[in-house]
Amino acid sequence: MTGRSLIASRALTLGLGLLFGLVVITIYMPIAVMAVFSFNSGRYQTLPFRQPTLDWYAQLARDQSFLDGLINSLIIALGAAILATTIGFLAAYAFQKARLPGKPVFLALILAPLVVPLMLIGIGMRLQLTAMGLQPSLWFVLFGQTVYVLPLAVLNLRARLAHVPSNLEEAATSLGASRTRAIVEIVAPACAPTLIATVLLTFTFAFDEFVIAYFLTNFQLTLPIKIWTTLVTGFDPKINAVGTMVFLFSLTLGVIAQWVLLLKQPSVGS
Amino acid sequence: MPRSSLRNPWVAVLPAVLLTAAFFLLPLANMVRLSLITPDGMGLGNYLAFFEQAHQADALWRSLKLAVMATVVSSLLAWPIAFLVAFCVSERWRYVLLLILLAPFWTSFTIRAFSWQLVLSDNGVLAWILSGIWGAPVSLGILYTMAASVFGLALFGTMLTTLTLFGALVAIDRRLIEASVSLGAGPQAVFRDVIFPLARQGWLVGATLTFIICVGDYAVPTLLGGGLKPVLAQIMLSTVKGTYDLPSAATMAVVLCGVVLITLLPLILLGRLRRGLA
Repeated sequence: MTGRSLIASRALTLGLGLLFGLVVITIYMPIAVMAVFSFNSGRYQTLPFRQPTLDWYAQLARDQSFLDGLINSLIIALGAAILATTIGFLAAYAFQKARLPGKPVFLALILAPLVVPLMLIGIGMRLQLTAMGLQPSLWFVLFGQTVYVLPLAVLNLRARLAHVPSNLEEAATSLGASRTRAIVEIVAPACAPTLIATVLLTFTFAFDEFVIAYFLTNFQLTLPIKIWTTLVTGFDPKINAVGTMVFLFSLTLGVIAQWVLLLKQPSVGS
Repeated sequence: MPRSSLRNPWVAVLPAVLLTAAFFLLPLANMVRLSLITPDGMGLGNYLAFFEQAHQADALWRSLKLAVMATVVSSLLAWPIAFLVAFCVSERWRYVLLLILLAPFWTSFTIRAFSWQLVLSDNGVLAWILSGIWGAPVSLGILYTMAASVFGLALFGTMLTTLTLFGALVAIDRRLIEASVSLGAGPQAVFRDVIFPLARQGWLVGATLTFIICVGDYAVPTLLGGGLKPVLAQIMLSTVKGTYDLPSAATMAVVLCGVVLITLLPLILLGRLRRGLA
């Protein structure tokens, strides 16, 4: 840790650590409150705590519209994650390994959805569907969310591919393997942890995404839409239960993905 | 020639390009076209109407104000936090702290915004605790104000800005810092003349993304800011889902697009957007 003690005194570290602690507490505190309320028998969201109960979770398990939303969300998010990771991998591979005329333009196009509000993706697609005389449907949610998570996939995978030396594939192709086979058998396995992390990350983002889905459906539900409509049409304590579960689910996936991405992956073949 | 060995790279890029063109670029183009349709043919009538109608122009103004405040607050928090993580702790702690701070970043924005209702509402946890300390009922009056929206968005922005800023700080060559210290620079001079200029780009990317996400956000202004003084995103959604005045919705969307483009301009001009993201 050279340079560390040069500019950061003990007092500074302590002060900054205090601020860090405050921010972390502020970030987690409301989630903890929600989790506590999800076990509270009281119908109103006020303290003091009444009786511990699992009732809201039980009610949730019996609520068909939450279950329908959950199933739709799982299918769509999985579809978007796999689609985005697959085509994102192909694009990242070409961007990284090939000489491509107009590369900055195409990269900018693919990354652009990352730097606009989700609102614009949703409203744009909705107006387009209407102009084409198409009905909103879960299929469009799938494509909308794929466009939204694709930049994340491309960025993650491009960063990883930069560390996969080309000479491995060169060796494979010069020994007679086709380019496709070299990609499938050499490059993809070398990126396997990043590919898994990317699927998890894009899945999480698509699973929790609300605005695009809200614009692109009329009556069909994804879980975030069901949660949203329940939230704005009068309070239902089941929300605490579903919120706690969704939070823990996304947190687990996100932490695993982040962990894999942060770990220094061994440089293959060097 | 190792780099040109992929014989037809287009095949690999095509699916991603086509998908983004079909479901992103085309809809944006259609949006612009739609915004130009008025009862008296093609023209800028919708845009004039937008800025003449107080409730739409006000909503845009509120969106901008909200986004600026959230961005400023999150930058003020992100600098010390990213500095702590990058310079004041050992490498092992670095990633533990980062993981603790950023883990909720991957979870549902909507649910996190909602959970703040439980804390901030007039009969919520905060009021209950304060009443206990105060010994009498305390009326907070925070929920459904712009302050609550700023707060909710700033927490999110702090995570995002810390992430990009940390990336820039950790990439700074420590020998530069050592050199400046051994040449007699004090901590303030090191920060001002070495660290800040080298990390500015990463900060700018985080602050820009924060601003863009906040200016177009719908969930936080609705759940924490309430519906009485709507931001642009709220009016856009109620227009599409409620009144079906699509040219008007398209106009608002194009205006929002314009705001985003103007915000991105510094980064585009610097040619650094791509580098900053990657």
